Amino acid sequence: MNPKKNKEEIYARHVASAKAIRHLSSWGETLAEIMNPEGKPEVLDDVLVLDASHANFSGIIASSFFAEFGAEVIKIEPNEGDPARKMTPFGANVKGVGIPFMVEGRNKRYMTLDLKNNEEDREVFGKLAKQATIVIENYAPGDMDSWGIGFRQLSHENPGLIYIAVTPYGQYTDKAKEFANLPDSDITTQAGSGLPAQIGDPATAPDPYNWPLRAGPWMGWYISGLSAALGGSIALVYRQNTGKGQMIDIAGMDAYSSMVGFPASIGYTWEKARPRIGILDFILYPYGHWKCKDGYVAIAAPRDHDFRALIKILGLWKIEDDWRYTSDRIPDVLDQAMALHKLIEAKTMQYTSDELVEKALAYSKKAARSKWRGGGVPIIMKVMTPDKTMGNRQWTTRKAFQEVEDETLGKYVISSGFVKMSESPPRVKWVSCDIGKDNDYIREKYLHGG
Amino acid sequence: MEDYFSYTERLFNPSKAVEKPEALKGIRVLDFSHVIFGPTAARIMGDYGAEVIKLELPFYGDLWRPATYWGKYWKHSNPIWHFVTKNKYFVSVDLKLPKAKDLILRLVETSDVVVENFAPGTAEAWGVGYSQISKVNPRIIYLSCSTYGQYGPLRFFPGWDLLAQAASGVLSLTGYPDTEKFYKLPDYLGDFVPGNIGALAILMALYYRNKTGKGQYIDLAQSEALMRILFHHTYHNLTGEELGRTGNSDPTMVPASIFKTGDEKFLALACATKDQFEGLLDAMGREDLRKDKRFTNTFDRLKPENAEALTGIVADWVKIHDCEEIVKLSNSKAFPAAEVMDDYQICHDPWRRQRGSVILFNDDMYGEFVLAGPSAQLSETPSRNKWLARPLGYHNRIVLKKFLGMKEEEIDDLEKKKVIGTFDDKPGLKPPVYYNMDEDPIYNYGKEAMK
Repeated sequence: MNPKKNKEEIYARHVASAKAIRHLSSWGETLAEIMNPEGKPEVLDDVLVLDASHANFSGIIASSFFAEFGAEVIKIEPNEGDPARKMTPFGANVKGVGIPFMVEGRNKRYMTLDLKNNEEDREVFGKLAKQATIVIENYAPGDMDSWGIGFRQLSHENPGLIYIAVTPYGQYTDKAKEFANLPDSDITTQAGSGLPAQIGDPATAPDPYNWPLRAGPWMGWYISGLSAALGGSIALVYRQNTGKGQMIDIAGMDAYSSMVGFPASIGYTWEKARPRIGILDFILYPYGHWKCKDGYVAIAAPRDHDFRALIKILGLWKIEDDWRYTSDRIPDVLDQAMALHKLIEAKTMQYTSDELVEKALAYSKKAARSKWRGGGVPIIMKVMTPDKTMGNRQWTTRKAFQEVEDETLGKYVISSGFVKMSESPPRVKWVSCDIGKDNDYIREKYLHGG
Repeated sequence: MEDYFSYTERLFNPSKAVEKPEALKGIRVLDFSHVIFGPTAARIMGDYGAEVIKLELPFYGDLWRPATYWGKYWKHSNPIWHFVTKNKYFVSVDLKLPKAKDLILRLVETSDVVVENFAPGTAEAWGVGYSQISKVNPRIIYLSCSTYGQYGPLRFFPGWDLLAQAASGVLSLTGYPDTEKFYKLPDYLGDFVPGNIGALAILMALYYRNKTGKGQYIDLAQSEALMRILFHHTYHNLTGEELGRTGNSDPTMVPASIFKTGDEKFLALACATKDQFEGLLDAMGREDLRKDKRFTNTFDRLKPENAEALTGIVADWVKIHDCEEIVKLSNSKAFPAAEVMDDYQICHDPWRRQRGSVILFNDDMYGEFVLAGPSAQLSETPSRNKWLARPLGYHNRIVLKKFLGMKEEEIDDLEKKKVIGTFDDKPGLKPPVYYNMDEDPIYNYGKEAMK
């Protein structure tokens, strides 16, 4: 899929003029230079975050985002360590630390305090919270409050405090009270917020393929964590302008439904739930993946001119005058949509993924420079597995992955460069996460050695 | 001391939300973006009080306007587009025309943020890229959204949510192991998650600008945003193996699967800690398993053969109990469990209505509609809904006249030269048939004054 030549190919018509190409070529070089994070200021260098979350990655992920943008993040855990350290695929670990914890241990300080059982530790936490900008916690709603270190008490002493609580059903409502003891996990967050209901084969497929299916990545926890960081950032801007803090309530059971919004609105206008439709898409066709000679390709050619371009390059032009394919590709009649799917598959099976990608790009390149504007852009992309993405030139150029090194954990690679910013970019500086490793540093810096 | 839940009820009371301050009031966002990725970043700013001006092509509008599920429209609008683009000002300008560029540069002078997601290079080629706009307003925060990013050898590769899922590896991860069955993440999550990360980056840039006065350029590649949420690369790097697909079981904890209950419902059940596992064994009446060597140590329990055995034991127990019964037990014994919720349940769930995570909204043009609430509830500066999506060009006059102070003749001239325009008869672009646009004070803003 990598173009062999160094000359850049153009696939979009608006940038195809010689003048635009000249400008973009130098602009591209400028960008590669100005987006380098080294030596740049860190936006949150005036922010102290206390992450008291436990047995839960939403809090850890939220505090990672703050740490990547330069906040001082203190992760608080009891002497035996956060159970999140042991959540890891098939038990894979390095010296007792699981892989997700190694990945999310970004630029953090580690302090041991037992908030659940130790009164003195709660007092220490209270002293730290007086100086903190953000507190993150995920105890049962009301627990921290009953220990005297909830939002109500902490904000009294520190009115600028932003207090983020993450639980399955939130901090208020009857259900939040009734289900206060319910702990959180990724799969229950996914299920309760409506994600698995949209994944899987149609009802006619055999068990278990017709079941709702969990998303492979930790979509529940990552969405909750991202939402916590986003809510916290809105509160940070407000605090910067007014000095006022506030409480932020994240309910895991909102994760998917509030991120995409479709379940609530479709449930209302359609008055029923969408059925599962396998590999098809509710709105666009073609918009999915197909088998080819050496793996899979993703194909997106949903607009009419894209679709016509696709059937042209696949040698399927003979179906162009069949209304079932050119005028009615919406998969509300599954059999019809699957029939077209099979027609396309018979063609994709004749080529390798590279050949298919090349065909689509060659067509788009020609269409971009053609005076006739009905060309369409059939997009074909090889379906990558995460390990295959790591060596890709695009991501090495953009430093999407980073090799980190730690005395305890050794060397390993994480994905890190998730957004490029010219002035105050995020970055990963260290990953060390030994339990209590910064106890002295923190007591010295914030507790006058006490 | 006041009961905690009565305190939080007061603190968050959704019915009081409109009386509270807006965190981003006074921030103006120019939204050149289309479909879902860019518009989501801009929409989040609008939800918290920013003034978001969305620019679309006359008579075509955003590609996503007509793109509704199974072709089903609601009052001639696309029901799922309302959530994607609520609270925005809808201005229809032909960006490619030189006159439109003048107009945009005038808007840029008073804007704080620009969001675009054209094919990389397009905004620069049209003269409205960061290199040009930052000359007019150096304090501007400019977010470019794309699939591969604005630099690097693949920058001009075309892309959408699906292609970012393919390029990042995400597309290969949801499905059953040792089969060819795998599925993309649904509902364009490959746009929504990066869109939220875009909003996060804008907020970080605003915070930085408040401190230093400096604007900046943000280059967000949705593939990279999706790679950020995977630990699969590190797993491969450390073990030499692919984590791949693991069906309905989360391989990071055991048990953690979706099961079928005695009353034929689907239930997710998990144990993330030793305490939760003991709670489950207690609920199951299987104290004996506590001493089973395969399951006592967390890392041992996670070994594939042990995980499979334990998942089987739990599946057999779930299968002979009703969903509600297990959910009740999960709360009293403190292990995570939740029924798999679908669209209808989410829309009608009393908890979500009470919380404000599903909102029955009354819109001036469309009447009653159900919208999802925010992902985060803020006690002091909550998000709010002001209006749903509007027909193409609905806010042309109010933006040109009120925000830019343009005269009636100038607006007429722009209309005649087709620099600005509105909707035609296409669903998704036009107002509902029952709605009389002639009497709409916003659509006709400033016309009264003429008389």
